[in-house]
Amino acid sequence: MLKSSHRLWAGFAIPGTVWLIALFAVPFYVVACVAFGTIGPIFRDAVPQWSPLAWDFAQAQQIAISLAAGPLQGVALRTIFYVACAMVVCFAVGFPVAYYLARHAGKQKLMLLVLIIVPFWVNYLMRMLAWVNLLSTDGLFTRFMRIFGINYNWLDGSPVTVIIGLVYGYIPFLILPLFGTLERLDWRLVEAARDLGANSWQAFRLVTMPMSKAGIVAAGILIALPMFGDYYTNDLLSRSPSTEMIGNQIDFFLNASSQPQNGALLVLALSIFLLLFMSFYLRSTGQAARQTTG
Amino acid sequence: MRRRDFLRDLAIATGGVTLGGSLLAACGGSAKTNSEGLPIGTPDNPIKLPVTTKPIADGLPSESGTLEILNWADYQNPESIAIFEEKFGVTISTSIYDTEEAAVAKLRNGTFKPDIIVGMTDTGLAKLIAADLLQPLNKWYLPNFGNVIRGLQNPYYDLEAQYTVPYMIYGNGIGYRADRIDKNAFTNGNGYDVLWDPQYSGRLAVLDSYRDTLAMAMFRAGHKDANTSDPAIIKKAGEDLIAMRKATNPKVDVLAYQELAAGNRDINFTWSGDLLTALQYLPEGVSPDVLGFWYPETTITKNDFLCITKNAKAPVLAHQLINFFCDTESAMLNREYVGYQPALETITIDLLIASGTIPESLIGALVTPEKYDAGLAQVSLEPEVDRLWLDQWTAFTAG
Repeated sequence: MLKSSHRLWAGFAIPGTVWLIALFAVPFYVVACVAFGTIGPIFRDAVPQWSPLAWDFAQAQQIAISLAAGPLQGVALRTIFYVACAMVVCFAVGFPVAYYLARHAGKQKLMLLVLIIVPFWVNYLMRMLAWVNLLSTDGLFTRFMRIFGINYNWLDGSPVTVIIGLVYGYIPFLILPLFGTLERLDWRLVEAARDLGANSWQAFRLVTMPMSKAGIVAAGILIALPMFGDYYTNDLLSRSPSTEMIGNQIDFFLNASSQPQNGALLVLALSIFLLLFMSFYLRSTGQAARQTTG
Repeated sequence: MRRRDFLRDLAIATGGVTLGGSLLAACGGSAKTNSEGLPIGTPDNPIKLPVTTKPIADGLPSESGTLEILNWADYQNPESIAIFEEKFGVTISTSIYDTEEAAVAKLRNGTFKPDIIVGMTDTGLAKLIAADLLQPLNKWYLPNFGNVIRGLQNPYYDLEAQYTVPYMIYGNGIGYRADRIDKNAFTNGNGYDVLWDPQYSGRLAVLDSYRDTLAMAMFRAGHKDANTSDPAIIKKAGEDLIAMRKATNPKVDVLAYQELAAGNRDINFTWSGDLLTALQYLPEGVSPDVLGFWYPETTITKNDFLCITKNAKAPVLAHQLINFFCDTESAMLNREYVGYQPALETITIDLLIASGTIPESLIGALVTPEKYDAGLAQVSLEPEVDRLWLDQWTAFTAG
């Protein structure tokens, strides 16, 4: 009886396992086979090398050198910098919003949540194209800023514009999980801290922040992962080499060059880098779970 | 025919990948394949492509139903298409491609199954032929073929125009906003230098095409080979582009026709046809005279073409569409929307100017037969050479 019950519960993992194998493990293996494969002599398309024993790592070495000290180094560092800046701004804007929604919005909570989410029902691409219109030289935003004497060409390949685009595109994915975490906090602990003499900043720093750490990390990971691979924000808002991100290079190598394996290699390099983030996330959530149960 | 057999026949027909270069030269053959086995024609070595299947027979009736087109975005006038549909009682369905590489890949794996392909160039043609994706044309259905520019009736990449009929012609140059940039900026000294001039920083763009933009840097440095394999020249071009990036922070895209028209940038290294297309994108009330074009003395000229797929479901209709685009009146109507200049002898510069659709400031963007002949050809590169070009392009675009 116990055995059949165990099998039943284990059976629930089958769809997820199949999903992971079919839509993650197999595609990832194909990317690796392309990355360590060759280029077709006639059509210059990727010829995957299916046997790991025959993988060719010469090109991977070139890409590693390029990322470490060659032309791709600048792109890699810039991508990290842009994502870091965008995350700081996302937290600076998103945390107070989530905090307000969770703590002080009262009856308006649902309406405010909907108002935050509604614009994001529109496709990301369309929203970025709307920004292109707003920021163009005769765009509404540019003309509005001229009233205050600010005459700035936002679309001239400025890093600021790309970072703003990233923030705008991903901030709801930060607010929602943060709101979920903050809403579940036991606010009596914060009140207890205040009763014991902590001022509001100390209560926030010593009680609210540690208790919401798991949500902060989850929200950060949730926006950082897609930001690192993002290429169309830069494509639409800049298109300047000086703001090129790693996703743009992947797009170029895969779609418009005769070296698709370079694109696959960059995908692998980015995946390994992002694995570090995921490891951190898993470690943090594991710790948080142990603290809760312990 | 199996692909392996086809490639064998291709090798025989074109001089053979198994023949060494010296032997091929000794034979004095006018055709050659590159080291990849692709049938690449060059102006110095024109090529007659192998024919492995017969063209359709004369006098067949037109098919009914739908004609499938594969084309670039905005590269056919919807009005022209409507006229053709009405005339032949058919429906036309158009799929869009972004790059020749992606289009060839999707044609090979069957994602695209068009009857007719519009806008490919000779570098794409070599791959289409190698993949045995095209059928030879039957000129019986193309009475208007005689309207095609004479020099292109027998192009170097497809002698006797067995598979292709030229569609549009264009040359590379610099488009600019004549209301903001003095045209003398291009004529005082080396016109290409404008792209390196810091006073225009943040206001300019170059083509997102490594072959075109690196070649432009080579022309600026005084070289006149758009297909060079000299590592030093390629490296210098890459370094010059990096210097340009530092001096002027250019954008890299293919949006000149929109962005110049919208006034979002002032200078754009681009294809001449883009400036003619830009006229359609000018905001209401803006004079067409705000657009200008500098046509360099040393530059690339190109044409693209129409061709029919081997497995076309409506090959007769596909021939008729090609013939339709070769008709002077239909081509003029098509041009009104597309902007680019039809590759027809009958559409002269005088006719275009007389049509009243070309402002005086853009007459320089029109490609005269003399300009076309003086232009440099761009052909496929050997893989190792291509890699050198791409390495420099990556160094430039990676910022």
